[in-house]
Amino acid sequence: MKKIHFTYRLAICTVLIFAFNQCDKTVEDTYFEPYPETSLDADAGNWKTYILANGSEIPVPAPEDASSTAYQSELADLKAKMAAATAEQQELARRWGANGVSRWHEIARELAAQYNVPPNYNADGTYPAPDPMNPTAYPRFPFANPPYASRAFALLAVAQYDALVTAWHAKFQYNRLAPYKNDASIQPLIPANDLPSYPSEDAVVAAASRELLKFLFPGEKELVTALAEEHKNSRLWAGSNVQSDLSAGDSLGAAVAARIIAYAKTDKMGQANNQAAFPNLRADAEARGITQQWHSLDIPVRAPMLPFYGNVKTWNFDQATLVAIRPPAPPAIGSAEFETALNELRTMSQNRTREQFRITTFWADGVGTYTPPGHWSRRASELIAEKQLNEIRAARVMALLTTAMQDAGIACWEAKFYYMFPRPTEVDPAVTTATGIPNFPAYASGHSTFSAAAAEVLSYLFPDHESDLRAWAQEAADSRVYGCIHYRFDSENGLDHGKKIGEYAVQRGQTDGSE
Amino acid sequence: MRKLLLAAVLLTAVFQIASAQMPNDGLMMGNRQWCTLLQYTHTSWDEYWEGTNKRSNLNLGTFTGQNVMLMTNFGITDNLNVMAGVPYVWTDSDSYLDGQSGLQDLSVFLKYQPFKTAMGGGDFKVQVTGGASIPVTDYVPDFLPLSIGLQSKTASLRGILNFTHGSGFYVTAQAGHTWRSNITIDREAYLYDNELYYTDEMPVPNVFDATGRLGFINNRIQAEVMLDYFTGLSGDDIRYNEMPLPCNKMQATTAGVFAKYFIWQGLAVQASYGQVLSGRNFGQGTTISGGVTYFFTLGGQSQSTE
Repeated sequence: MKKIHFTYRLAICTVLIFAFNQCDKTVEDTYFEPYPETSLDADAGNWKTYILANGSEIPVPAPEDASSTAYQSELADLKAKMAAATAEQQELARRWGANGVSRWHEIARELAAQYNVPPNYNADGTYPAPDPMNPTAYPRFPFANPPYASRAFALLAVAQYDALVTAWHAKFQYNRLAPYKNDASIQPLIPANDLPSYPSEDAVVAAASRELLKFLFPGEKELVTALAEEHKNSRLWAGSNVQSDLSAGDSLGAAVAARIIAYAKTDKMGQANNQAAFPNLRADAEARGITQQWHSLDIPVRAPMLPFYGNVKTWNFDQATLVAIRPPAPPAIGSAEFETALNELRTMSQNRTREQFRITTFWADGVGTYTPPGHWSRRASELIAEKQLNEIRAARVMALLTTAMQDAGIACWEAKFYYMFPRPTEVDPAVTTATGIPNFPAYASGHSTFSAAAAEVLSYLFPDHESDLRAWAQEAADSRVYGCIHYRFDSENGLDHGKKIGEYAVQRGQTDGSE
Repeated sequence: MRKLLLAAVLLTAVFQIASAQMPNDGLMMGNRQWCTLLQYTHTSWDEYWEGTNKRSNLNLGTFTGQNVMLMTNFGITDNLNVMAGVPYVWTDSDSYLDGQSGLQDLSVFLKYQPFKTAMGGGDFKVQVTGGASIPVTDYVPDFLPLSIGLQSKTASLRGILNFTHGSGFYVTAQAGHTWRSNITIDREAYLYDNELYYTDEMPVPNVFDATGRLGFINNRIQAEVMLDYFTGLSGDDIRYNEMPLPCNKMQATTAGVFAKYFIWQGLAVQASYGQVLSGRNFGQGTTISGGVTYFFTLGGQSQSTE
């Protein structure tokens, strides 16, 4: 539980502040409570994996028998650790006990928000670039903008998912009972279940997440290593795993993570910020007849955000499909259709209602936030808690969602730099905005594409929330028009595009062996 | 009378520069005396402190904040005054971001003078002011520096010491504490002190402020120099190259001059100038203001203040 505490407090305060009792500046945010898991998914070891060939590709060594001296001594050690656990450690056991997958995505969102800061300009008008070799020096690496964050969330989710499928395969291969099933004197702090405990699904998730976040946020190695230790230890404090469950889980999680990182090193993200080649994109667009092109509105002019992110490897469809489903060309600048769209924004920037401003801010997810993919990742965490999904179901939700959102980011970026369409304010400076203007071309709207893809996947996974989810995607798309940083056709075509992208992830979900 | 400051007004550097029957000066209205102020204030800056680092921001350019303030003060007795005021504020910058405008917060104060004695050829007075404020419109607080206010409800308590010599020279010292409520912002997560909070509730720091004034007053003129300091008592710094937030620890030291001229009967004009000298998470604003006050005695003859 995180709190903002302000120690400055006077008794008189309670007298003076009659109508509102806010002397105590404590702000609490909630976390999910541990819940009993509703299903075992005993066949999840056969579910379709993303990077691994299957759930048995990486072998897990056989555990010691429950009757062995080694295991009995582990049980004794576990009981000693439980007895010695402090109140704070018991609280941590409950916090991690809710859902490890969700908790690590929460950590990833926090890192994304902390690192989502565009570098400031130098005195000479140039911009420094983050250096992955020196991640803690200013400007810190990475700049976790929406494309970067969408990839980070997807790689994290895929590592967790592939590792858990492998873990499930081993769990039901060896069928080691949980410590509290082997020793009735152990009273776990979090709800018991019938899941075989070797290898520990929590240690698998902790290790896979640790390795991915070290790779994605190299300046945070110490933090994520400490968190992974806390996560694993929480299972001892909770009485849910013995040490060998955790050690095997850690080895497995790390081994799967290494495979995902090897994939990530060849996904073409390394070339996404190739600014030297950016003029080629302009020339290509010009050759297609696009003469009035986007330019940066930042002062000094800033190089566009990841102009070659559109070439990064997609998860759920191939490059030919990406081209085939690219949004149709936007209306020509100066056409009647274009003028209608621009006029809407001219009027909007003069007459924005308070509710439209609220919606703009709610969905802005700009600098210093977890980005639009983070917004939807949070929604997914809430739905996972509501449905009390087990670790592997949660990991499947996150993998389907985040891969769809990264695909949305990639396909949207490809379209943005294909059409190179200027922002409304560039065409008419009279269009003032209620949020910052992103530093890349307008068409189509990234928020709309991310959100429609997310809503499509989450509607498949949580059908009873479909109407809310689709309404949120529509509101996210509208928010960019209310904010006056997008034309309505950016948002509408972005929604259409995102929905198609989400459908590919849904198709995968329908055939991954989990239904 | 002068405008209310109040820490409410963020990077706009709008604050109390001078005096004349304000919550934080040493003057009182007499029994049944009534004074009303209408004042225009203009603040601008093109440099601000990001934490304690002073910088400019080409993407923001020059910030301009303006307001028109209506404030009234009534003497319930010689030793107890009640005041109320509300400003209409509008902001702008060189950026493409929308300037904001609207009625801001309604403030009400009770000022009590428990002690007054003749000494050293003049009068020594002790006063206490208690106040409260509440936003009167649903303006956007989380759009700094262009927001017109912070949406926080406040309560304040301050003590004032004043010595006015028979010649008209006076010296005033005051210090106050303002409690500010947490606010609800339009988004459901934000970074505070580099940690992510999953809530739309945001803390707004309480404020301590102190002012020293040196001036001269008679029945025709008033002139004053002042030095004002205020600081948030908690809060974080603006993150590097990001926008300010209502939870930031704002701080400023401001020097100012104030003059008032009593034209005829109860009518007077006044003007002030202030300059922020140092600050934290605050604009280095230059502020000018001009206003008109009208003073009369209920059921009696109009006369000059004091």
